Amino acid sequence: MPSINPRSTASLRGHPIHVMLVPVPIFCFVATLITDIVYWRTAAMQWANFSAWLLVIGILFALLAAAAGLIDFFNEPRIRELRPAWIHAIGNITVLILSIFNVMIHSRDAYTSVVPTGLILSAIVVAILLVTGWNGWTMVYRYRVGVRPEEPL
Amino acid sequence: MVILTGCGPAPIDPQRQIGADPYLPPIHQYLLPPMHTVKIVGWNGAMPSVAPGLKVQPFATGLANPRSLYVLPNGDVLVVETGGPPAPVSRPKEFVMNWMEKATHSHTKPGQRILLFRDTNGDGLPDKRTVLLDHLHSPFGVVLVGNDLYVADTDAVLRFPYTEGQTEITAPGVKLCDLPGGPIDHHWTKSLTASPNGTKLYAGVGSNSNITENGIEAEVDRAAIWEIDRATGAHREYATGLRNPNGLQFEPETKVLWAVINERDELGPDLVPDYLTSVKDGAFYGWPYSYYGQHLDPRVHPQRPDLVAKAIAPDYALSSHVAPLGLVFYTGTNLPAHYRGGAFVGEHGSWDRSILNGYKIVYVPFANGRPSGTAEEVVTGFLVDGDKARGRPVGLAVDNQGALLIADDTGNSVWRISASSHNL
Repeated sequence: MPSINPRSTASLRGHPIHVMLVPVPIFCFVATLITDIVYWRTAAMQWANFSAWLLVIGILFALLAAAAGLIDFFNEPRIRELRPAWIHAIGNITVLILSIFNVMIHSRDAYTSVVPTGLILSAIVVAILLVTGWNGWTMVYRYRVGVRPEEPL
Repeated sequence: MVILTGCGPAPIDPQRQIGADPYLPPIHQYLLPPMHTVKIVGWNGAMPSVAPGLKVQPFATGLANPRSLYVLPNGDVLVVETGGPPAPVSRPKEFVMNWMEKATHSHTKPGQRILLFRDTNGDGLPDKRTVLLDHLHSPFGVVLVGNDLYVADTDAVLRFPYTEGQTEITAPGVKLCDLPGGPIDHHWTKSLTASPNGTKLYAGVGSNSNITENGIEAEVDRAAIWEIDRATGAHREYATGLRNPNGLQFEPETKVLWAVINERDELGPDLVPDYLTSVKDGAFYGWPYSYYGQHLDPRVHPQRPDLVAKAIAPDYALSSHVAPLGLVFYTGTNLPAHYRGGAFVGEHGSWDRSILNGYKIVYVPFANGRPSGTAEEVVTGFLVDGDKARGRPVGLAVDNQGALLIADDTGNSVWRISASSHNL
């Protein structure tokens, strides 16, 4: 029997994989902005090193999350009919591309690995994440994407 | 291997950056720096090419990372087999950098010892080989003053008793002074020489980073040439702002200290030119804040305008990323007269430039104790097919017959350059 809610096809025992992975890049990219700001204010290299590690880990998990998310997106027409799903997907792909540029900037040596380009990219990424996060929650909490239909008690 | 050379300016002709007044292009900071690393193929019976009037012979082969040379008064030749301590990984980039370092250097485990070679029949080639000193800690510089043989390990200057003719030293070394070593120890080769009157030693102490990316606190007492009192072991910074000084030598005519300096990377294929310079007492040469005088490096923060204001430009640019590690003034008589009085420079070769630079020995003519013309190629052939390396030259020395010796760390050989027989 087809679900009454849009289905998640990339799922593990009924749990959508995408939502299990996204906390990692969201945390990493937000933390990168914080450590970038602290580096900018202190010029203590260890904060820039934190940013570089956070970006690498964030990008690796973002790639996995994107793969799971795109499988969901392309396998369920009812997801593709949702405007928030398009905003969420395009926004987060932008986040991933900007973060790949950002990790290259962060591979420079010393001050210009962060200031100004790295710091600006980190801030743009977090701004986009606020929009894509909002739209992601809309998909789940309003349109019940990936939510199992209620069963009679 | 070439990785992403598409972004960034095309390299200029290195000739524009040789001499007292090099062309300095605008800074280019990369998204990804061009890494053009060489593939190590070895010599397999081939030999370096030499300029007309010269011949080349293998002096020693099958070594384990020979990097520096020293000739004792009786003609014995010391060959330092060495390698750096393991490099820590403090950020993701260093995985790539450490891999590249490994790929482009000799795959032989460094000896960490000093070998002694003796020529007993006067043909210039050794027929006796012993281990003079073993179990050293990334040694590099060696100098003999009287009966004291000094060895610069990466973290200390050691003194060993030596009597002429000795082929093995079993006495333990006595530490004269500590040098900045690990845990980072980015530029680990500590070059060493003695003042002409023998009272002071001079040690090259390279920076702990490319451009302060390990923090300015890691640079204490580094990027400097130390003057060490032989009697007490006390030291002071003789000159500072020298990113990675090697090949410390006193110019024989004027008795002035000279060195070759590896300048900073990742500002473009033609920044910053490495250089040969006389080293003035108390002078500041810019690193990390600026280069060639007051050219600011935007990667260093906070800047130090007070230091930049007094930064002086070096004497003689050798062009960018050639990685000079060896220097010797030629006072012998074996080589053609053309080579007398000037300096030979060993260029280990570039990694961050799409068209490779260095990988050769050049000769810089001198007059009245100053460079007096353009550097010319003397020994080449370390590269084949553009991006394969048979070897990479490092330290230089002149043997008692006046031949030039070249330590080739990647080729695990020492080469001997002398006048070809028809000159004699």
